[in-house]
Amino acid sequence: MASQAEPLILGHPTFRTITDDVSQLTERKTPLPWYFLFAMAVSLALLLFGMLAYLFIEGVGVWGVNIPIAWGWAIINFVFWVGIGHAGTLISAILFLLRQKWRTSINRFAEAMTIFAVICALIFPSVHVGRIWLVYWLFPYPNQMAMWPNFRSPLEWDIFAVFTYFVVSAMFWFVGLVPDLATLRDRAKNLRRKKIFGFLALGWRGGNRQWKHYELAYLLLAGLSTPLVLSVHSVVSTDFATSQLPGWHTTIFPPYFVAGAVFSGFAMVTTLAIIVRRVFHIEHIITLKHLENMAKVMLATSLMVGYAYSVEFFIAWYSGNMYERFVFINRALGPYAWGYWTMITCNVLVPQLFWFKKLRTSIPVLFIATIFINIGMWFERFVIIVSSLSQDFLPSSWAYYRPTWGDILTFIGSFGLFFSLFLLFVRFLPIVAMAEVKGVLPEANPHYENKGEHS
Amino acid sequence: MSLKNKQYWRSLDQLDGTAEFKRFLKAEFPEDAREENGDQVSRRQFLGLFGASMALAGLVNCRRPVEKIIPHVIQPEDRVPGVPVDYRTTMPFGNSAYGLTVRTYDGRPVKIEGSPAHPSTLGKSNAFMQAEILNLYDPDRSKSVLFNGAERTWDDFVVAWRELYKENLSARGEGLAILSPSFSSPTLSRLAKDFFRNFPRARWIVYDAITDENIYKGVKAATGRDLFPHYKFENAQVVVALDADFLMLESESLNAARGFAKARTINSVDDEINRLYVIESGWSVTGAMADHRHVLPGSQIGAYAAALALELKSFGLNVPGIDNISPEISQKIDKKWLTEVAKDLLIHLGESIVIAGRTQSLAVHALVLAINSALGNVGRTIDYRLKEDEFTPDANELALLKSDIDNGLLKTLIILGGNPVYDAAVTLNIKKVDCSIHLSDRVNETSQLATWHIPAAHFLESWGDARSIDGTPSIIQPMIEPLHGGKSDVEVLNLVATGQDERGYDIVRMTWQSMLPRRDFENSWRKILHDGMVQNESRTIVPYIQSRGVQTALDYYPVDAPSPTKESLEVLLVPSTQVFDGRYANNGWLLENPDPLTKLTWDNAALLSPQTAQELGLKNNDLVTIKVTTKSITLPVWIVPGIANFVIAIPLGFGRSAAGRVGNNVGVNAFKLRSQANSYILGEAHATKATGTYQLASTQDHGSMEGRPLVREASIEEYRQHPEFAQEMVEHPPLKSLWKEHKYEDGYQWGMVIDLNTCIGCGVCTVACQSENNITIVGKEQVANGREMHWIRVDRYFEGDPAFPRVVHQPVACQHCEMAPCEGVCPVAATVHDAEGLNLMVYNRCVGTRYCSNNCPYKVRRFNFFNYIKDYAETIKMVQNPNVTVRSRGVMEKCTFCLQRINEAKFNAKQQDREIQDGDIQTACQQACPTNAIKFGNILDPGSEVAHARQNNRNYGILSELNLKTRTSFLAKLRNPNSNLA
Repeated sequence: MASQAEPLILGHPTFRTITDDVSQLTERKTPLPWYFLFAMAVSLALLLFGMLAYLFIEGVGVWGVNIPIAWGWAIINFVFWVGIGHAGTLISAILFLLRQKWRTSINRFAEAMTIFAVICALIFPSVHVGRIWLVYWLFPYPNQMAMWPNFRSPLEWDIFAVFTYFVVSAMFWFVGLVPDLATLRDRAKNLRRKKIFGFLALGWRGGNRQWKHYELAYLLLAGLSTPLVLSVHSVVSTDFATSQLPGWHTTIFPPYFVAGAVFSGFAMVTTLAIIVRRVFHIEHIITLKHLENMAKVMLATSLMVGYAYSVEFFIAWYSGNMYERFVFINRALGPYAWGYWTMITCNVLVPQLFWFKKLRTSIPVLFIATIFINIGMWFERFVIIVSSLSQDFLPSSWAYYRPTWGDILTFIGSFGLFFSLFLLFVRFLPIVAMAEVKGVLPEANPHYENKGEHS
Repeated sequence: MSLKNKQYWRSLDQLDGTAEFKRFLKAEFPEDAREENGDQVSRRQFLGLFGASMALAGLVNCRRPVEKIIPHVIQPEDRVPGVPVDYRTTMPFGNSAYGLTVRTYDGRPVKIEGSPAHPSTLGKSNAFMQAEILNLYDPDRSKSVLFNGAERTWDDFVVAWRELYKENLSARGEGLAILSPSFSSPTLSRLAKDFFRNFPRARWIVYDAITDENIYKGVKAATGRDLFPHYKFENAQVVVALDADFLMLESESLNAARGFAKARTINSVDDEINRLYVIESGWSVTGAMADHRHVLPGSQIGAYAAALALELKSFGLNVPGIDNISPEISQKIDKKWLTEVAKDLLIHLGESIVIAGRTQSLAVHALVLAINSALGNVGRTIDYRLKEDEFTPDANELALLKSDIDNGLLKTLIILGGNPVYDAAVTLNIKKVDCSIHLSDRVNETSQLATWHIPAAHFLESWGDARSIDGTPSIIQPMIEPLHGGKSDVEVLNLVATGQDERGYDIVRMTWQSMLPRRDFENSWRKILHDGMVQNESRTIVPYIQSRGVQTALDYYPVDAPSPTKESLEVLLVPSTQVFDGRYANNGWLLENPDPLTKLTWDNAALLSPQTAQELGLKNNDLVTIKVTTKSITLPVWIVPGIANFVIAIPLGFGRSAAGRVGNNVGVNAFKLRSQANSYILGEAHATKATGTYQLASTQDHGSMEGRPLVREASIEEYRQHPEFAQEMVEHPPLKSLWKEHKYEDGYQWGMVIDLNTCIGCGVCTVACQSENNITIVGKEQVANGREMHWIRVDRYFEGDPAFPRVVHQPVACQHCEMAPCEGVCPVAATVHDAEGLNLMVYNRCVGTRYCSNNCPYKVRRFNFFNYIKDYAETIKMVQNPNVTVRSRGVMEKCTFCLQRINEAKFNAKQQDREIQDGDIQTACQQACPTNAIKFGNILDPGSEVAHARQNNRNYGILSELNLKTRTSFLAKLRNPNSNLA
């Protein structure tokens, strides 16, 4: 196993140092830069709420959407944020089931990132509807109209998929937090912390039976989450794939979307990990090895989406469908060619750097490349949604889409909400799963005998 | 203190009787809401008007003026609240008169249709007629008599006029003049006689901004008589149009379009259809319908007419009056276009029409009449009738009026409608006249300068009359009491001519008493009010052509003008398809209804061909300054392939400064380039690129069909060889469904067929639909952003050689797919199918995800991106059809096949215990369509028109390979080219 060849955690930490390193981040006095960053993030979040208020008062017309391009940035942002969320679940659930122990250092904040990203994602479809005050009609609930929602609609499937995903992810995250919350409770120096963490720790005592139940619960939740990783973005992709629209109507979408989601999610986790390990000096816990592994995943998923891009073209030609063919030629050469080539550059060309060990282990390269990947993945959704809608069957209806400042500020604001939540998380909760990290230390091995260095 | 002396006061202010309190009191309890409540109709007034018109409508089909407002204590018989009543009336439009059927709900007119029995409309309508209902409720109409800008009452004006009347009477009318638009009203004509009896020295100037003067004068030059033409396109197998948009913008186009479509209709491969040659300078819908279109600058079209006459002569036809035409003129024209057209005309002697447009000089009109006469068309495809009550325009008179004003000879000027300050080629210095009186529906550019402004009643509010295309006297009767106390031209002229302030009803009735047999007048009067007109014997004559007259005209107005060049361009002024001459400038429906050829809304532009644009270094949305003699305007450029090179076509009627809140400063006033009222073709123009650009709003950005089989078209020969060509154009695998499809085998199953062969693309369907279905306008910015709300749009595609393109039109509304892609994707089931095959939109259930629109291949769904109806003025609320939901923000909407009309027909049928018959239901677009291109009905009824049309071998559905099973289908377009000219 990799852990044998190369230690997962560097600097020979002990159980105690790990507890100290992680816990003290939440216990020490709030560092000034945190206030600064939080203020920035909260003001952006307020911008989001301001833009939403403006939207509620005026109507969806404040955005750039029109006929034929009835979905614009809101849906792009929705798919973008849901995609980002995927990395968290993938790392915690699938890598857990696959016994990839290196995941322990990053799974906690990757999961947190998932939840916050899904919160951001959920905002967009709920506010993009014309009559926001009636959006609850999308939920199946008993009502005096005796009306069910239309279960044939992929948007309805979305509701179930995304909400299930949100609930399961939140549960998974919280269950994983319980032992660490207990640690914080036990270390608490004042009554308030004691009470709060005491409440959240659900009476965790670290007993053998508790661990046994805990691990079973964690395994079950991991098992539950695993299909969700695949299902959520597959369902989101059916919004497009089940429609008539050339450029949307393709069977490749579910796997293509999932690969894209994992790709963008890993990019986001890497970006955040690079910042977090640096700011909180936990380079020994989140090591270069972790970053390199993530780069490898990104390279693999990049190849998958690159393959999907080319297969789409092949099918467009092979199908002999003139509308389909037009849409794809138009994507690469038409009015949105700039968007298409941005996407190709960021998603297919940039990750090719990761073939080289030197580059994939270089922090600056990784940092910049992951940001490019996220830009590219946003453009992927832009290209799919906007370029297909703008030029479909009847040329008389063709139009060009321009976002308004409402679109742009709302999107920027959603980053504010995301980072506000993330900053609250890194300040008040253990950003690394202490219990799990300890589990992958050599000391955790029952056969570990000596503190000596005979490796 | 006795009770009697007791004073009650409402506040200390009142006790003091302060001015402030008095103002408050007056505002709070106005004695006359009309005077006080300047901007909007108050609720009280609305109810008052409502009551009045209810009482007025009390006698079905018989209009009686009722002066008092009385509520119904006992409901009148035949009067059921909420049940519409249709009345006949007439819309005067220059010398034309359009017979209408107006639908009123509880005394409130809401929808205009053509009157089926009326010869000018034949039950059809154009966009202007449809939009008049919005003009009626225009909140920017003037609401008060003004004297030098200060509010006065009608009675004040009556008193003032009586003074002037006496003065003018003693001067025998010296220094008195009336300036009026052209009209054909027996009553106005009778009053004009009274006027001249009282004021023999007075002058009467008839002026139209868009004038048919050249036509009338040309006919007079050729025949020596005042005659009006009535073309019978239904009898013509060959039509040659010389810059004549007879299908849309020329006078009496409705009748022409109806007749043309009749001769164009084809039901089987054995039928013959007419052939249309169009020689034109700009683009018109007539040019788009042409089988052969030849592009010539407007100044060269006279030369073409002359050369054609010579060509006909060379084939032995005796065309009178062409001896002085130089044979060299034929050199300028493509030989084929002369020989082949001449041959075709000679084959169809007596069943052809050569028609010239109002842009052409009187000589061309005289010549064309001579040609028609020689071809034996006069009396067969063209009738001429004698002038009766018509007053026709004369540009020279206007120039004389100007000099009279400038020389101080004019003391009193009465302007009976129109807007000469805005549109006249000469500057009328109205301020210089001692007393000018302007009758106008709004305080427009002319009213602002006039001493007195009288608010004009809308024709739906007033009594009057007019003669239609064949001289049929038609009655104008009010549907509603004047909303803003307006006065009709009849009432004003009556006061002016006689000094008597009488009611319009009495004035008009007096005229008709002299026109109808005295015996039994009451009965015939009632019948006329019911029918809206009286059938009279046709007074047509076959005029004798005076070859001297034609020859003199050609000598005076030579037809060999030089061709335009890059240095010396030619400007072609055309009436706007949206605002005509500017009279509809404040009408949002029309401003937003895209031009049939350019698809521009909310603006006019300098339209030019790609080559002209290239040579002048211009592109779309560039600003260009156009200079003719000393006059110049700057406006944006819009490139339209198929316009003659070095010709700049500019729609008139824009650039109003006092039209109202909707129409002010929309576009640029091209009347400013004119120096004579009857000139449409201005030579020696120069165009220079101006700095800056201007964003135009077009509803269709892409003009090519991209090789997609959307509009399917063939020549008649191809059709005869491949009758099934339309279906064969698309090959697709067998259409199979994954699930068991619904059968739709019983009950009514609604369907629509649109015949692209007769559709001329005029766009009246869009406005008719807007009026029927309460469709909002959204404004220029929203249109530019692709958010127009039209349920039915007319797609326009260019095809063929970019230098000589052809244009096809295709109306597209919801196709009512049986397997509708919109329905499956709606998460809240707000769009569903009913048992009669209609794709329904449940507004109340819609939350506005817009997914349905994304999945609609036709993109016919429209979304309320904002609460567009929020700022509707009170009067605009009155134009809404009470049977159609007014949609609010965040809701998707689309064509319903006029569901409310279907339900009305079902209701009526059920009451009469019968099934719905074919023809019981007409959708709004179908009813308006002047060429009967739209057919609607029960597709299961084998006898129905729509079922027949669906059996037609030209029937096809667009994108039917998607297995949508659309209920709307199209009949492929055919052209009938001359094989020798192809």
